[in-house]
Amino acid sequence: MKMRCLASETVVNCFTHMKLILGRLLIGGFFAWGTLAHADLTPEQVQQLPAPATHKIDFAKEIQPILSVSCGNCHGRGKSKGDFRIDDRATFLKGGDSGPAVVLGKSEKSLLIELVMGFDPDAIMPAKGSKLKPEQIALLRAWIDQGAPWEKEVWLGKIEPQNLHPRLPQVPQNKKFSNPVDALLDGYFKTNKVKWAAPVSDRAFARRVYLDVIGLLPPATELDQFVSDRRRDKREQLVQKLLNQNQAYADHWLSFWNDLLRNDYKGTGYIDGGRKQITKWLYSSLLTNKPYDGFVAELVNPTPESEGFTKGIVWRGVVNASQVPEMQAAQNISQVFMGINMKCASCHDSFINDLQLSDAYSLANIYSEKPLELFECDKPTGKMAVSKFLYPEFGSIDGNADRTNRMKQLADCVISEKNGRLPRTLVNRLWDRFMGQPFVEVDDMEQKAWNPDLLDWLAEDFVAHNYDVKHLIAQIVTSRAYQLPSVNVDQLEKQYVFRGPSVRRMTAEQLRDALTSVTSIGYAAPNAEVEVLDETTLKKFGLRAETKWIWNDKAAASKAPAEIVYFRKTIHLATTPTEANVVVTSDNSFILYVNGTKIGEGNDFNKPYLFDLREVLKNGANIIAVRAANHLPNNALPKPGELVPGTENPAGLLLYARVRSGKESDEKVMDFATDKTWIWSRAEVSGWEKKGFAAAEWSNAIELGAAQMAPWRLKKDHIPNKLASTQSGAIRAALVNADPLAVALGRPNREQTVTTRPSEATTLQALEMTNGETLADILRRGAEAITAEAKSERELIQQIYQNALGRKPTSAERKLAEELLGKPVNKEGVEDLLWATTMLPEFQLIY
Amino acid sequence: MNNWNRREFLKTASAATLTALAAGYPKQVWADTGVGEKIKATADTVIVLWMGGGMAHTETFDPKRYAPFEKGMATDQVLSTFPTIDTAVDNIKFTAGLEQMASVMDRGTLIRSYTAGDLGFILHSRHQYQWHTGYEPPQTVAAPHIGAVIARTLGPKNPAVPAFIDIGQRFDLGEGEELKAFHTAGFLGSEYGPFLVPNPADAVRSVRPPEGMSPSRFENRNKFYKKLMEKGPTGQLGSDYQKESLLRSMDNAHRLLSSPAAKAFDLALEPKESYDKYNTGRFGLGCLLARRLTEAGARFIELTTEYIPFEHWDTHENGHTRLAQLKKTIDAPIAQLVRDLESRGLLDRTLIVLASEFSRDALVEGKPGKEVKGQVPQPDKIEDLKFYGMHRHFTDAGSVMLYGGGMKRGHVHGVTADERPCKTIKDRVIIEDLHATIYRALGIPATLSYEIEKRPFYVTRDGHGKAVMDLFA
Repeated sequence: MKMRCLASETVVNCFTHMKLILGRLLIGGFFAWGTLAHADLTPEQVQQLPAPATHKIDFAKEIQPILSVSCGNCHGRGKSKGDFRIDDRATFLKGGDSGPAVVLGKSEKSLLIELVMGFDPDAIMPAKGSKLKPEQIALLRAWIDQGAPWEKEVWLGKIEPQNLHPRLPQVPQNKKFSNPVDALLDGYFKTNKVKWAAPVSDRAFARRVYLDVIGLLPPATELDQFVSDRRRDKREQLVQKLLNQNQAYADHWLSFWNDLLRNDYKGTGYIDGGRKQITKWLYSSLLTNKPYDGFVAELVNPTPESEGFTKGIVWRGVVNASQVPEMQAAQNISQVFMGINMKCASCHDSFINDLQLSDAYSLANIYSEKPLELFECDKPTGKMAVSKFLYPEFGSIDGNADRTNRMKQLADCVISEKNGRLPRTLVNRLWDRFMGQPFVEVDDMEQKAWNPDLLDWLAEDFVAHNYDVKHLIAQIVTSRAYQLPSVNVDQLEKQYVFRGPSVRRMTAEQLRDALTSVTSIGYAAPNAEVEVLDETTLKKFGLRAETKWIWNDKAAASKAPAEIVYFRKTIHLATTPTEANVVVTSDNSFILYVNGTKIGEGNDFNKPYLFDLREVLKNGANIIAVRAANHLPNNALPKPGELVPGTENPAGLLLYARVRSGKESDEKVMDFATDKTWIWSRAEVSGWEKKGFAAAEWSNAIELGAAQMAPWRLKKDHIPNKLASTQSGAIRAALVNADPLAVALGRPNREQTVTTRPSEATTLQALEMTNGETLADILRRGAEAITAEAKSERELIQQIYQNALGRKPTSAERKLAEELLGKPVNKEGVEDLLWATTMLPEFQLIY
Repeated sequence: MNNWNRREFLKTASAATLTALAAGYPKQVWADTGVGEKIKATADTVIVLWMGGGMAHTETFDPKRYAPFEKGMATDQVLSTFPTIDTAVDNIKFTAGLEQMASVMDRGTLIRSYTAGDLGFILHSRHQYQWHTGYEPPQTVAAPHIGAVIARTLGPKNPAVPAFIDIGQRFDLGEGEELKAFHTAGFLGSEYGPFLVPNPADAVRSVRPPEGMSPSRFENRNKFYKKLMEKGPTGQLGSDYQKESLLRSMDNAHRLLSSPAAKAFDLALEPKESYDKYNTGRFGLGCLLARRLTEAGARFIELTTEYIPFEHWDTHENGHTRLAQLKKTIDAPIAQLVRDLESRGLLDRTLIVLASEFSRDALVEGKPGKEVKGQVPQPDKIEDLKFYGMHRHFTDAGSVMLYGGGMKRGHVHGVTADERPCKTIKDRVIIEDLHATIYRALGIPATLSYEIEKRPFYVTRDGHGKAVMDLFA
């Protein structure tokens, strides 16, 4: 801790902000321990001493807090005012310039007691701030009288930052374990007297690893296959198989990185360009398993696709100097990649680590177009920042270089092979994910790990494998350690001892996707703009019908009046489709109806919107109707039938529907798209969007041109991509905006970097799950689908259990379920059975 | 917390703290006030009546010279567009349209000197964020709403009623994302977040079984769940922290939904005569709901006229006409709320706070003399009724009404200038002091903090809030 200019009001203000946690720690001395001469107390003074406490003193509980709070600032954490240090018992007893701090066994003769009593107002300790209370002095006296016991492991001196430099520990020879993770843990277990428990069952392992690697429950058939698989290495095989499911992997890890990189699809800042998504870049990085060093370099020294991370959020109005975008970049780079909290230091020298205000500004300055002036607690200091990385040993930043080059140099520092912190920080986060507890608190990488060898080895192995994140994941989840039975997180002990993964809660996204697995009810369309790159997939989703931009006038691509135009098309389907997805966009906005039912709307013509039409499209004639609007210049909607002269601007409507039935071999293609066979009208007549409406007077639409035409220039693969994103049947929860269920289950508002989500189950969550409309709707529709499909009551119960819990129901469970379902099976019973099974801890927790 | 600290902490922590710690909840740090003072609570419940959008003080509780509408009148002559009326207290005047509230002024304390933060150019959502969290956005951690702080610190008053209930705000309208950013428990964890009742008229929906499910089926479903727990292997899996936490939360939810207290949400159970007194629309019914919930044992309720850009109090045009309308919706039900709580003996321990993010003026934007970016257009001469009213955002004064909860009765605090700019000239009250006052009434020190990322986060900005002692009886 740096003590400076205490007299300055600026510093005092921000110190007040910290005062409770550190209390008197902050108070510097006007005089030092060493300037005092030791004098014996007079009998009167001895009389005034609080009587020593009479119980046996617990140093850690009773004394150490007094020492660290009241003395630590000048005599601890590397400080030695008056040459007095309280690093450990030895330095404490040795005392400082004025001699020993205490006379063991004789508190009344101890200098420490004399000073804290403050008999001499010019020589009182602590030198500034509140005096010690009589109870505290009574404790100190008793402690001294009892011989000042001090536990060896309690260190109040300076703590060197940990986990900074690469270190490759020797992996001990081990006949029992081939995975170095286990070999390294074997010794640790011996030291901590932990016995290796038998690995969990195949079913438990599969459930864990599916959820951890791709975020999904194992499908019942795959689970059965796995259990009956006789290969010895089947667990390793399964891990590889899951890691190879690129899309499912990307869908799952997207949430992890969205939290860390505070990326979302809507939220503060996006609306006025004060924030930029990195979704596309992030998703494709995950899909291709981009090596982590390259991934980080592209975030630190960004391309236009990845710059949203360092651009931060430009808040409207005046913001505190510690929250300007450059400082946000510094904070986020430090926290996400280096596991260190820079939030304190962006306002004043930090109280929780050794970072200084100038460190924060040095890093922020790299991102600034013009040199930044240091502001301390939002007040200018007159000092200018110098571009520098936190750890200059990893490389230098040329202060004269331009911003582009400085960012490049910074990226080189961060991903330098000398930076042992970068890989360790990610290893720590992933271990936390899989095991429920990290090696070190995730945002405090300066602390020592509970098993440094294991952390260091995993980090070096990760680097040696080219920063391959999937390799790192495989290394951890194929270990015996990961396969140990889960332990109760509540087993809080004197010191954390690893015994196996802790019981964890599913995340909001895992839970929602698990509900999809059980009910088959997923999201209809993603909000995340992601592109699936796989060639065969793209080919499969190629367009089968000509798609044209249409409107009511042939000049519309350059200018058309602001007005609302109604479009219709009757489609005849030869059979009920099994797949029906439609992509729509309109300049400027649209509302889509099918057979009179409103399907959805959209108002951004750069982003085609995707909707699932399976529930509404029927065998025979169907009415597709679109209310499309060309907006006024202020983006307002014109009134129906209103034409405002002078407000002309480009207008167009584009729609493509992929409609199929049957399996691949005898697939029936019933795709359709916007073209001149659509008809339009200006008048909003009641029932215009419904069947049976006489549209005889409507005119044929004008084809403006192909999807790629100016001014809209949709990319060639845009529509196929959008359609392909539906491939897995349901859209994963990570790809959509948070709904009330997701929010209740802890999906964060991503305005700040989030490194851990709360794991506590809360009443508000339970309320949302007990009577919230989001879940109720999923269960209602799910029950319908399941009831329609299942052949018998027995089969239905079995199917729900298999899909939800990965096992058959016990006979007791079956009996209960049968009672609930009634005879014949009623849909409400199915709904309630779904609710009850998905509310079970067995479903919601990862054991 | 590192392992070393954690170990030390665990030795002294209570079982309850341990649970919170295991769940990753921030630790509470009670301040040492230095003088060993223990604050005596004067209230158990808080009701915030939120006039979202900017309520002009000179048009409501702080009348200035009345200038009736005349075609061609000069804007700079307009201070109040409503005549002054008497209240139950001799020296306190209101503007016309607030007759009912005027009749209960003898139960209230009026702050006329509330001054909004200086946050650069005026943005409703930023000022509302500051009013509700006590902090300017952005913060490096997600700041909790005052209701969440109270819920976290004091817990529910009746375990069957959510501790923090938010009535009347929908989030799918303009600036919804910005509003969400402070309608949250933030880093305190979602246990303390708002229980949302977007539409007061339909509040019962929040506590009844899902659409289409009868109460008996709802009960039956829960019984089945319990049996499944007992009979299934989960029951035998043994006890673990996560499982207990999940089951406890499900129990809590069920208890809340099936408790007699849930009836408080059902406005249909209110006698017609009383219902009609409140029924001026959404807000009026919200007052009725707030009263019923207070009776049932709510801890913190916020009821809003609802902030929607350019609507309600956000008068960018037609200020006079709109306010005349708005007053009709708030006047009777607020007065009725005060009277009802009093007659039920609840007003003494319930603090009602009526407030807005800032005030308005016909001419001055922001603080007098400050350069501001962009302001609502207002002609110098008013030719059309549309331009008659307070259409600019004024931050240098504002009225806050307080009733009950240990506050003085028939009292006024603070003075504003009688001529433009009608700014605060005496006893300025800023947000952290207003918050400190509310906290103090509840027995919470302004210096209470919660530890997040090893830093203290104080319930008032940096622990600086000073309760306005002049307000307390």
